[in-house]
Amino acid sequence: MTSFKRKATGRATLPSYPRTRISPASNLTLITSTGISSLDDILGGGLPLSCSLVFAAPDVHSSYGELVQKYFVAQGLASGQRICVVGQNTADFVGDIMWISKSQVWNAPESEEEDEGDASQKVKIAWRYEKMKQFKTTVGDMNQNGESFCLPFELSSRVPREVIEEAVDKKMVQFVDSGREGLSTSRVLGEISKELERDTTVPLRICIPGLGSAAWGNLTGQGMLYFLHSLKSLLHKHGHGCASISLAPEISTSGWGGAGWMEKVGWATDGAVTISAFTANPALSSIFPGHHGLVEIHRLPAPHTQSPPSDRFSTLRGLGTSGENNLAFKCTRKRLVFETLHLDVEGGTSERRTPAAAAAKKTTTTTTKRRVVFEDNEF
Amino acid sequence: MPGLFPPFDLPDGIVLLITDQLAAPADFILHRTLAIHLRERRKPSSLILSVSEGFGRWKALAAKSNLNLAHHVDAGSLEFVDVLPEIQPTADRRESLRILIKRVQVCLDRAAGPALIILDDISALDWIGFPLLDLSRFLRALRAACLKANATLIIRHHIVTPGEADELFRHLLQISTYHVEDRPLSSGRSGDVSGEISLHPGFSVPSDGVKLNPRNIATQYRLADTGPEFFAKGTSGGVL
Repeated sequence: MTSFKRKATGRATLPSYPRTRISPASNLTLITSTGISSLDDILGGGLPLSCSLVFAAPDVHSSYGELVQKYFVAQGLASGQRICVVGQNTADFVGDIMWISKSQVWNAPESEEEDEGDASQKVKIAWRYEKMKQFKTTVGDMNQNGESFCLPFELSSRVPREVIEEAVDKKMVQFVDSGREGLSTSRVLGEISKELERDTTVPLRICIPGLGSAAWGNLTGQGMLYFLHSLKSLLHKHGHGCASISLAPEISTSGWGGAGWMEKVGWATDGAVTISAFTANPALSSIFPGHHGLVEIHRLPAPHTQSPPSDRFSTLRGLGTSGENNLAFKCTRKRLVFETLHLDVEGGTSERRTPAAAAAKKTTTTTTKRRVVFEDNEF
Repeated sequence: MPGLFPPFDLPDGIVLLITDQLAAPADFILHRTLAIHLRERRKPSSLILSVSEGFGRWKALAAKSNLNLAHHVDAGSLEFVDVLPEIQPTADRRESLRILIKRVQVCLDRAAGPALIILDDISALDWIGFPLLDLSRFLRALRAACLKANATLIIRHHIVTPGEADELFRHLLQISTYHVEDRPLSSGRSGDVSGEISLHPGFSVPSDGVKLNPRNIATQYRLADTGPEFFAKGTSGGVL
């Protein structure tokens, strides 16, 4: 009889849930999609179960924080996972989520809007560069094995009413109204705890849009950190739940809860990301015309590893090869995309192309002539 | 007997303050110290006062060092206390801190060999509303209990405003023997260097203390699956 024994792995002990998969970084971690494939990439494959992720969207003129939450709910609803939405007017919030278009073909090419834009901006390039792959700033919907993990939602489609009614009837969607009289944060935590314990066979997504808004009453910085810390602790105990939280715009700024507020929020959760839209700052919009805001990563989930899986597996962050890429987001007619931030071909704005000084013109005449001849040959 | 805190040659029985920042968490120091303590010491005894991490993560990371924490819990060489559920906002907070001290005392009384006490996040208690006076009394009691039993005490504190020392940090410096500072690179995140650690003296450092490691010659590290790889500044794989 051989003395070798098969080493037991964590994989065998993990339960199988719909639309979850094992993290590439650890076979003890199950991950699920946030509904946005590029955000999944930033997280290192997806949001790990038992983790909480906070989005701070400090811009008061837009609601990108809420939009990310809608994707999170839509992905859960379409994946057959349970959802618990905490906040005010939660039923209206869920009724307004995006959905998969009827005409949508999976793995479809880029949207029409983007194609039209490309056609108008198409430039003639040298033949030797024509066969080069197009420079990509984001990632696709498919994973490395070619499996679809994140569903192709379209912002132009709305969820059918019957889908929500059916989910509510089956108790797949639960609402906790934070605006109810006397519902303190500890009672909200109690409601979430009940939901987590009710059914452990299906993953539970806890969605909290606008934490700290007027509906939550006079929530102090201490109260909010206690809530986030307790929620994190609660989720660590239940391996089948995960939470996505967006902070209200007024408390998403670094100065709201005293010095180092966003750092504190980062420590109180498993992941924290700031998505700052450009709407309040036209100067930034003109510098980055292709984007709608900047993305700043404070912390990323690492439930069973020393460093976040994202450090090794995120294509967009690009830490595997060099320093971290700058990230931004844009919201097209059809979807929200997180992508790398680059200056355009000209190296920035058109303002950089300043006319040459009169004295310098004479000296550069010959060079300019040569360039013209070269370009004629090329094109 | 190998030291508990490589690459620094620190002795046992000290009060070690570890500070870190969000971009370079010092979890790895705590996990590695526990692994060395349980593996290298004879009849070890340890207590984790965990404020911010669940036992699942401690277990998973210890398993990567071929250490079965569940086995150590069963054997009595490790006790894990999840601090947060014991502290409710409505309850008497001072009393709950007293209960924690009693648990530490019981662990130290029971210890047959060298003891290690880890408090993984004192800052969270400050941020969720514990008065500074109660926390400083708690820390003083904790330090006194550990020094009396010749146990090693590790306390982690998060720095959220680098360059501006907060009140709790000042108090922690006063009670600590050494201070290990974990900082991210000022140039931002990198795939080759995860952060840098330096060693400073605390207020109660002995005159014949160990060699310190100031910030200008801080040791850099890269976090891998199995633990950190330390190297001198400017000698990472990406540089050479």
